[in-house]
Amino acid sequence: MAPASPMPDPLTASLKQLIVDTLRLEDTSAADIPDDEPLVGGGLSLDSIDALELVVRLEREFGIKIASSEEARQALASVAALTTYVRERGDPSRLPS
Amino acid sequence: MAETPAPIRIAACGCVTPFGDAQASHAALIRGECALRRVPVLGNDGGDPVPLALMPGRPLDETAPPGWLSSVKGLAERLPPGAWGSPGRPVFVTGSNFGVGGLYALGRTGNAAFASWGALPTCTEQLRLALGWGPDVAILSHACVSAHLGLLEATRAIEAGAADEALVLSFDFLSPFVAGGFHSLKILNSEFPAPYRERASGAIGLGDGAAFAVLARGRGDWTLEGQGVYNEMHHFTSNRADGSGFARCLEAAAGAADGRRVWFKGHGTGTLDAGRLEVAEASRAFPGSPITGWKGSLGHTLGSCGLVELAIAIESVRSGIAPGTIGGPGEPMGPSVALDNFGTRGFDGVVCASNAFGGAHAAFLLCHA
Repeated sequence: MAPASPMPDPLTASLKQLIVDTLRLEDTSAADIPDDEPLVGGGLSLDSIDALELVVRLEREFGIKIASSEEARQALASVAALTTYVRERGDPSRLPS
Repeated sequence: MAETPAPIRIAACGCVTPFGDAQASHAALIRGECALRRVPVLGNDGGDPVPLALMPGRPLDETAPPGWLSSVKGLAERLPPGAWGSPGRPVFVTGSNFGVGGLYALGRTGNAAFASWGALPTCTEQLRLALGWGPDVAILSHACVSAHLGLLEATRAIEAGAADEALVLSFDFLSPFVAGGFHSLKILNSEFPAPYRERASGAIGLGDGAAFAVLARGRGDWTLEGQGVYNEMHHFTSNRADGSGFARCLEAAAGAADGRRVWFKGHGTGTLDAGRLEVAEASRAFPGSPITGWKGSLGHTLGSCGLVELAIAIESVRSGIAPGTIGGPGEPMGPSVALDNFGTRGFDGVVCASNAFGGAHAAFLLCHA
């Protein structure tokens, strides 16, 4: 796996930790996850069931509503894409400061 | 010299959908009607409105006994008379969910009356007793290809001499548990389905449905040829991107068609990836065959879809006109997708296909004997 980029903001760091916790990635730390690598089908080997678990957790954590599987796919294109998605649609009171 | 056994045929077939029996359902589809209505996904507990096709007057929430029992009993009244479930006359009960909503209701309410309908064996036993069947009842459940498997096993039972005739009964009725499950997968949402059409996001509808078929040697007007089942063993909820699972399953039906002119009744739930693969492989296996799908109106009747739609396909051949693909707007996924009704008299048969979670595929060629 490519070396991780520096974590630029608290939301990105929070999302990476959420991914590790939700999917119980034992051999991967939050710092290991690159910002721009595809989450599904990339180096983490996540599949559509993993994506579904992430969607459920994200909806609960940030008060967002992902309407379709295509929207989920776009949101989970990468950590960077997910950060943008959550920042734009999440409940501001639930975003890390 | 040994006598060649008479071919196995469909001696009787029928279905019930929210539109009514097979004839009424076919007529409604020809008129372009849609049985789907927006219903709160969790019934009395609310939730997002999603497109569901429920039997008239039946609420989504579970009752004990189930509200769908009357629909199955009504369907059973149209069965050929006889001692179903007795030696030589086995019953194959197929479905995806059976009374699973009852288990959810049991967990939520603590009402023990839900227990006897909740699990596959207990639900089937209740049904067996309610319909007066003998003990020779088998259960087959493999998601959305369940009905196809029932037809295949019934055929094999007769071929093996284990049955003189066989009944396949297939049913699937919705509940908050089932609707909630598909909703959580993000494929059942507020959008109505548009099978075989390109759009920004896919969506399905779900529907109540039940159907039966009686298979027997030498009786009946319809044959099932090239029955094929195949599981690509790729993933729970997605297919191999190269379409090989769809292609492999269609080989038997294509071989049976052997150059005859056929039309294609597809699975077509409204999801995008599977729809594209299905259209591509059906077009490849049956060049020039119009492809149609009816789940945009009936909803996906899950484990019963193979048999519900077989009954409507029979009506289509009998009447000389097949419903086109009903659903929301969008460009068709291929030139063979039939958006309008079309005549069936010039065809020699219809290939009926279904696809399921877990990468299961099934298909057969239906012909008039």
